[in-house]
Formats: sequence, structure tokens, C-alpha cells
Amino acid sequence: MPLSVQCIWAGIILGQLSVLILLFVVRNSRKVPFFAAYIALNLCQGGFLVILASVPGIRFATYQNLAWASECVTLVAQALATTEILGITLRPYPGIWGLVWRALVATSALVVMIVTLASHFRGAAWFQLNRGYHLTFASAVIACLLLVRYYAIQVPAAFKLILGGFCLNSCVEVLINTFIQVLFHKGYEVHQAVWQILTMLSFAVALVIWVVALRKPFPVDDRRIASLTDSAYRQLSPEVNERLRELNEKLLRLWKLEARPQ
Amino acid sequence: MNFTLFVLIGFAVLLLLLLAWVLRDTSKLSKPNADLDSADTPHVAFFPQVRQALAEQDSAYLSLRGMHELSRRVRKERRKIAMAYLTCLRGDFLKLWRLARVIASMSPQVGMLQELQRMQLGLAFSLRYEMIRIKFLFGFAPLPELGSLSEVVSGLSIRLETAMKDLGERTALAAKLASSLDRRWLDTP
Repeated sequence: MPLSVQCIWAGIILGQLSVLILLFVVRNSRKVPFFAAYIALNLCQGGFLVILASVPGIRFATYQNLAWASECVTLVAQALATTEILGITLRPYPGIWGLVWRALVATSALVVMIVTLASHFRGAAWFQLNRGYHLTFASAVIACLLLVRYYAIQVPAAFKLILGGFCLNSCVEVLINTFIQVLFHKGYEVHQAVWQILTMLSFAVALVIWVVALRKPFPVDDRRIASLTDSAYRQLSPEVNERLRELNEKLLRLWKLEARPQ
Repeated sequence: MNFTLFVLIGFAVLLLLLLAWVLRDTSKLSKPNADLDSADTPHVAFFPQVRQALAEQDSAYLSLRGMHELSRRVRKERRKIAMAYLTCLRGDFLKLWRLARVIASMSPQVGMLQELQRMQLGLAFSLRYEMIRIKFLFGFAPLPELGSLSEVVSGLSIRLETAMKDLGERTALAAKLASSLDRRWLDTP
């Protein structure tokens, strides 16, 4: 592994450690356990790769396959962490959440289908699978965020930054993979160092965004519009009723005016 | 360059742009009150007057009396009024559209079918609106189309009223349940 790659890699490990420490110090880890697990898994993956590289006589192909297999685990954790954050954001809106997870599944299925049709899997299957995953992930999350924006639902800034970091990393990975394929016709393996540096840099940017997002505790979620616990409901329902009555009166007034005898 | 790769790059750039747009500050969007407060005077109610203004009788009468120039001017001015009505009608529709979004976000279950229907309705409204506007711009007075456009807005308000009533009844029931629970708690020695 070239020295430059090692330096960036060490920087990323430090960044991941900072994110994990921040998560526990600011006590955000309880609110987003899957995200904490994702960062921890990334760190474990780093350790695993170091151990793997130090095994004497290991073949390059074996090392590569095992490294990609460990990447699969972190990618699954990334999907879970994102779903967790979207779930927290939309918990007060069960109806919208129902719509969003369906959109998530539909968009993912559609993109997976398109990517499968477009891929040829000649030589660099792992790279193409990785690109396909990131494309699917980014499309699904952005589709959900579009729905969230459409319904004018407030997303806490910290969650926005975390989701933004994930999506940015995925989009940049897709761009890097594709550009490398376009610019260097000889294949990925030949330009692995360039690919590694660029993808690690994009992940480093995501880490910086997450550090910014996690420097303060997450806001207390007081948007329990559809909360069904007795105490919360008794406290909130008059407020909601008042708002509904207000809306209803406006609509009735609208309708009465519209149906006025000519 | 391979076409697939070109599409991939384009798609990734599009996703990045969408991401930037989606993560913009949405505080303005999350204040539906401003829209709701200004929804006091729906313009749909003025359709009969607009229908009267666009009727052929007046201009036919003026033409019959030999006042062709005046007839032309009257037609032109009345078309302008109808155009203004059309714009206001669109404003009404958009207000109701936003209101429906607020209701959907408050609802415990958002029906996919209703949402799709609403989207279809919005698309149909936009298409009709543009068609009518073009007709007006070319000097026609598409009265039946204007009438059906007004019906779309009225239809939406009826459906919204039903939805609001349903939601209101549900919350009222929940409040009744909560107050009966409160009373039971007070009766407990």
C-alpha cells in the first residue's frame, strides 16, 4: 500500500474515532445506536484489514475478496443507520413514514434493476456492485428526502447533516468509480491507489460533516403529533384539536362561499 | 465515452444537485399558517360574474347597434378580467393543495391512492390551466373549459372538507376518551 494511502487511511481512522467519541461524550449514541454501530463497524473493518495485511503469504486476490466482504457488512450497517435516522425524523408522522418506506423500497428496487441491466460485470464485479449499491442508496435516500420536503416536515439540522454526509459520499463514490472507468480503460485494478485515495478523501469529507453534526446533543423530539401514549396525547390533543378546528372553519368558510346561491 | 457511463455520471451529478436542493433551509416551507390565513376569499365564487362577462350577448348587442370598435374593446377588457380570474383560481388551487399536504402530514395514515389521485388532479389542473391560458392569449373565450376548471377546484374543496371532518371526528373521539379517563382518575378515592 503506498505511503499516501496509508496516511489518509490513518487520518480516516482518527476521524472515525473522533465521531465515535463524540457520539458517546455528547450522549447521542443512545438516540442513534445503528449509526454508532456503523462507525464502530468501520473501525473494526480497519482493524480487520490491518490484521489481514499482516498475514504472511496471503494472496492478493484473497485479500481483496475478504476486504470487499467486510465492506458489505459496513454497507448494510450504513443502510440500517440511514433508515434509523429517517425513522426518528418521521416517527411523529406515521402516515408519511408509511409512504416513505414504500418509496424507499420502490426506488431501491427500480435502481437495482436498472444497474443490473446496465452492468456487464467484466473483470471488476466488486467495483460495479459497490457503485450499484451507492447509486441505489443515494437515490432512495434522496427520494425520501424529497417526500419529506414535499410534506414540509422539519428535519433537525444534525440529522440533515448526517444524511447529507451519507448521500454525498455515495454520489462521489459513483462519480469516482465511473470517472476511473472512463479515464483509465485498463481497468480498476491498475489504478487501485488512485481509486483508494479518492474514495477515502470523499469519506473523510463525510466524517468532517458528521463531526459538525454531532458536536451538540440532538434536539429533544417534541413533534409528537400522533403520539398515542395517554399523557402525551392528553397534553397535545387540545392543541391539535384547536388547529384542526381552525383549519376546518377555514375550509367550511371556503365551501360556503363557493356554494353561495347565485 | 460509453453511453451507460455517461448516464451514470449524469445521474450522480443530478443526485448531488437534488441533495443540495433538498437539504436547503425548509423553515419557509414549514409555515403553512401564512397560506392558511390568506385563504379567506376564494375566487371560485366569482365564476358566475366571469361567465356573464364572457357571454356573447353583450358584444353581439353592441355589434348589432353598429358599435364594432366598442364591442372589440369590451371583449378585450373582459378577456383581461377572465385572465386575472384564471390566475386567482390557480392561486386558490395551490392554497388548497398546500392545505391538503398539511392534512396528509397530520393524518395517521396517508393513503397512497389518495396521494396519487391528488397528484393526478394537480397535473390535470396544470394542463387545463395552461390550455385555457393559451386559448385566452389567442383571443378565444373557452367558457366550458373555464367552468370545468372551476369544478376541479370546488371538487377539491369538498374532498378536503370531508377529510377535515373525518380527522376532526377522530380527534374529538380521542379527546372524549381522554377526558373520560381523567374523570375516572378524579373519582378514584
